[in-house]
Amino acid sequence: MAIRSDIAGNEKNYLRDMLPADARDVLEIGYGDGRLTRKYAALPRRIVGIDLPEALPRAGAEPLPDNVRLAAASGVRLPFPACRFDCVLFSLSF
Amino acid sequence: MVHALSEAQRALRPGGRLIDLRPTMRNRRVELDLPGATLFLGEIDSSSTFPDHLAANAALEAALIAGDILLEHETAFAYVTDLDSQADLREIKAGLRRSVMPESIFEKVKRFTADESADFLIRIRREMLIARYRKP
Repeated sequence: MAIRSDIAGNEKNYLRDMLPADARDVLEIGYGDGRLTRKYAALPRRIVGIDLPEALPRAGAEPLPDNVRLAAASGVRLPFPACRFDCVLFSLSF
Repeated sequence: MVHALSEAQRALRPGGRLIDLRPTMRNRRVELDLPGATLFLGEIDSSSTFPDHLAANAALEAALIAGDILLEHETAFAYVTDLDSQADLREIKAGLRRSVMPESIFEKVKRFTADESADFLIRIRREMLIARYRKP
């Protein structure tokens, strides 16, 4: 028994294509279990992920790259100064 | 998205990019791959999430009209999940929060894989949308 998602790597490839090559600081809103974060983490220099507090234990269950920092925060009131990020990723967030 | 878009724009530097990655409003299709044939088993009903999609679309549209963001590129792609067994499908169903997987799908899997020697694969196809916007 096994579940294999996106063997073709479409999600990773399209996201890599969309990420600006010069993006150094990325904010991911709604990192969930961190599945998507791990897919593109090698590209930007720094990633800050935010999600609701209950997401943190799930995302942290497996090791994350050193350039990824996760925080519990609301997207409605981001705890960052203006113009802080080169890219903002809404990850399956509505 | 609806409530965080203005905050995201504030946190983004001028010339920065906003990427929106999410499923489309098409239901996921469940298929059964058998040697020489692919059978459509049914759909996972995600219609309860459609109002959220529409609200997110409206928020983006308002930002586009206001000139707060500019659409650079948008494309759809397939996100496919392969499963080896009905138990895997049950696991997927158990993880659904707002979508509904009808029992008729399981009945069809059982019917078409009654022969225990049958080689099969259950496949769930989801359409995703990725869009990139630029902050002027």
